[in-house]
Amino acid sequence: MVEQQRIEPADNGTSGKGGGRARKSSFLSEAWKRRLPLLPAFLIVVVLTQVPFLMSIYFSLTRWRANTAEPREFIGVDNYIDLVSNSFFWSAAWNSILMTVVSVGLSLLFGTGLALLLDRKFFGQGFARTLIITPFLVMPVVAGLVWKNQMLNSSFGVINWFIEGLGMEPISFASRYPLWTIVVVLVWQWTPFMMLIILAGLQGQSSSVLEAAKVDGANGVSTFFQITLPHLRSYLELGALLGVIYLSQVYDHIRVITRGTGSANLPYFVYLRSIGGGWQFGAASAYSIVVVIFSFIIANFGLRVLSGLLTDEGA
Amino acid sequence: MAVVEYKDVSRIYPGSEIPAVNTLNLTVASGELLVLVGPSGSGKSTALRMLAGLEPANEGSIHIDGADVTDFEPQQRDIAMVFQNYALYPQMTVAGNMGFALKQRKVPKAEREAKVLEAARILDLEPYLDRKPKNLSGGQRQRVAMGRAIVREPKVFLMDEPLSNLDAKLRVQTRAELADLQARLGVTTVYVTHDQVEAMTMGHRVAVLKDGFLQQVDAPKELYHRPANRFVAGFIGSPAMNLIPTDRIDGKVTFGSFQVPLDAQTEKALASQPGVAFTVGIRPEHLQLVTSGIPGEVKLLEELGSESYIHVQVQHEDRDQILVVRTDGDATVSRGSTVNVGFNGPVHLFGEDGLRIE
Amino acid sequence: MADFAKPKGKGRFTSLAFTSLTWLLAGIFFFPIFWMFISGFKSELDANGAPKLFFEPTLEQYRIVTETPPGQLGFWEATTNSFIIVIVSTLIVMMLAVPTAYALTIRPVGKWMEYLFFFISTKFLPIVASILPIYILAKHFDLLSSRRLLIILYMSMNLPLAIWMLRSFFQEVPRELIEAAEIDGANLRSQMVSVILPIVAPGLAATALLCFIFAWNEYFLAVQLNTTGGETVPIWASSVVDERGQFLAKLSAASTLATLPVIVAGWVAQKRMIRGLAMGAIK
Repeated sequence: MVEQQRIEPADNGTSGKGGGRARKSSFLSEAWKRRLPLLPAFLIVVVLTQVPFLMSIYFSLTRWRANTAEPREFIGVDNYIDLVSNSFFWSAAWNSILMTVVSVGLSLLFGTGLALLLDRKFFGQGFARTLIITPFLVMPVVAGLVWKNQMLNSSFGVINWFIEGLGMEPISFASRYPLWTIVVVLVWQWTPFMMLIILAGLQGQSSSVLEAAKVDGANGVSTFFQITLPHLRSYLELGALLGVIYLSQVYDHIRVITRGTGSANLPYFVYLRSIGGGWQFGAASAYSIVVVIFSFIIANFGLRVLSGLLTDEGA
Repeated sequence: MAVVEYKDVSRIYPGSEIPAVNTLNLTVASGELLVLVGPSGSGKSTALRMLAGLEPANEGSIHIDGADVTDFEPQQRDIAMVFQNYALYPQMTVAGNMGFALKQRKVPKAEREAKVLEAARILDLEPYLDRKPKNLSGGQRQRVAMGRAIVREPKVFLMDEPLSNLDAKLRVQTRAELADLQARLGVTTVYVTHDQVEAMTMGHRVAVLKDGFLQQVDAPKELYHRPANRFVAGFIGSPAMNLIPTDRIDGKVTFGSFQVPLDAQTEKALASQPGVAFTVGIRPEHLQLVTSGIPGEVKLLEELGSESYIHVQVQHEDRDQILVVRTDGDATVSRGSTVNVGFNGPVHLFGEDGLRIE
Repeated sequence: MADFAKPKGKGRFTSLAFTSLTWLLAGIFFFPIFWMFISGFKSELDANGAPKLFFEPTLEQYRIVTETPPGQLGFWEATTNSFIIVIVSTLIVMMLAVPTAYALTIRPVGKWMEYLFFFISTKFLPIVASILPIYILAKHFDLLSSRRLLIILYMSMNLPLAIWMLRSFFQEVPRELIEAAEIDGANLRSQMVSVILPIVAPGLAATALLCFIFAWNEYFLAVQLNTTGGETVPIWASSVVDERGQFLAKLSAASTLATLPVIVAGWVAQKRMIRGLAMGAIK
């Protein structure tokens, strides 16, 4: 090691601070000193999310068909008025809600079940967990392709092979039940994620509480409903929140499995109306603004849940 | 070697109206071991953390060795601190933990190693220098935390309940070792504890705090024999002093039908007191079982072998009052029996405002 | 430990039943991936027929899909693009998220919760809603023909998540340790390098990994902004089907190649990943 010069700690008031008056200004700079580390991330996020959003607001007030030579024209709230009577929009909204609620709900339900099963000690526990989490890691595009072509395909899909084995007609799932096919794939991918969160919750449960319940004479079922489930509540909420964030914005699966037929959610609908072939940039922007407003209502609710989680922690 | 001074120091936490530490004035002499003691929420830890620079002082100033350090960062104060849970750096070895501060000061490696080794020798930590904290016992961790403080050769040691995570037996042993070490090194030390026994056995002087106010600062003996107020009287000493509310009748403080025996000086001071309500304080060892005294029923008997504490319920001013009597181990009373209690030593008297009268 | 089915007398049978059920479900969940994996070693004849478990394995499909047909996106090009885009964006995310997490926990800014909520709330903005302005801006700044655009976008996509996770890990750094370091005379840099980062290192790894997964798997932005010179693996994987029709064996080989890096990484870090998501957020 290189011999370094010894430096005594500065213990004489070279900074010239010291009185009550000087402290005030040092507190002000203290606030900025604390803010400084998060400013880069903050500014970048503001620029990258808010600027496009403001542009969208402006576009939504214009008539702008990108596939024609018409110039962009300011038309006020007409796009929003048209939207109210657009039945395609409302059916996409309904698809969105259905898809999000059902997939998040089922993923949480199955995820909890799997977590409970995996929280027992048995041979090969870690390996079974590894197998179960894998679907979450699969690229959504690949998940969609594999399910569409190899599981559910009417001529060479594995599931239809079983169905035929039972003596029934093969079903072409993706065209007959487009929405539910997508839900199946989403649940397949997101159940492992929910399982991991719930598992973290189960493992965070203090064993002394469970032992106390046992001493108090509670059986397995009542221990689960009266102690484990309330304990898991915040984990379920966290899972639901993250699930809603990601599953309300599903695009890849729809694109690969159905290309939107009978299963377009709002993001996909906006896509279809704009760069996905509609080129109605003005109207599509209006749709997306409405989507954002909806999302913020959900987000507000979600963040309230989150704030509950954070304040519990502070206590 | 340094003198530590608190001058009118107050700390008000954001969002709170009441100061955690209220205009504290306290001087710690050079080389002294001063103990800050008090119940939780008394402000003792806050006072220590302000001295460390971990907490700003809203008012007043703190001086180390004559220099105003109020606005100094902890790094600039030349102090070392031992934390309640030791705060050892988990990823560093024992040697790494002890040498970290020196490394920050860019002390050359050879000198650093020599100092770490020296501290390890003093603390019997030599065999463990290459271990990580997680592979040490509680007592060893505590010694590493101590070692980290000594290698610094700081002006002041700050100790925040450093023994509270040890088991009872080890705590008593370490207590003595720590006091001995401090005396040998002669470094000014401020020591925070909630345990009054620790405070009494270790402190050269003890400062008692309550609700942010300094109640009394004195040598342990003085604190015990002349508590400045009712709170200190009740807080210091185990079992606690009996504190009995009494009224002055005909210029005398009486207990039941007995007149409380006061020395001449106290008697004189009492005469100039305007109120009628007083508190009589008497330590358990200054009460005894007598054949004719205040009659009462034994409610509880605590036998420690060498001595016994007898809780006697007596009638006083139409109320039940428990008196704890300390006797030698071979007391023959039993629960439920009737005994007579008599005074056997000095009595403390506190006025309506809680202050000592003498 | 779950409270039911402890191996005790009658419970032993239940326990065995639960274990079997777990294995059955694990098998079901893993089956599509297993099927995809083995189908990649089939000949097209074996793959495009009734499902077959036993067949003569061949590496032919892997050879074909990794070959670059003229004028099309090749596997190696897509993989190189993906790795560069994903690694660079994840590095930037970590460089921004570490100081942010510090400012939200260890020396928190006033109203830290509002800052945290702002970051999370941006995850609720549907990406599709801003694709058009992004396209226009990207065109304006001449970013469409490079990997830079996806780097920037994946960074902004993962930043809130990374901040959220790192906050959880930073919160677990005991206050006293930082105070001890301050008293020991460590400056901010030294506190960070010697005390904080070694403690949060597993969390950093888990967070970076999750960012890696989400960025690696991202398809919508990659395909819509169609950055020539920046096409990623998901585009390649879907193009194998789009352009070569129903060739299930080739699709399987391509899918396996596309998902393998993330699956392996996920297996390695599964435990930590979840701790980062769930712990600290909840106590």
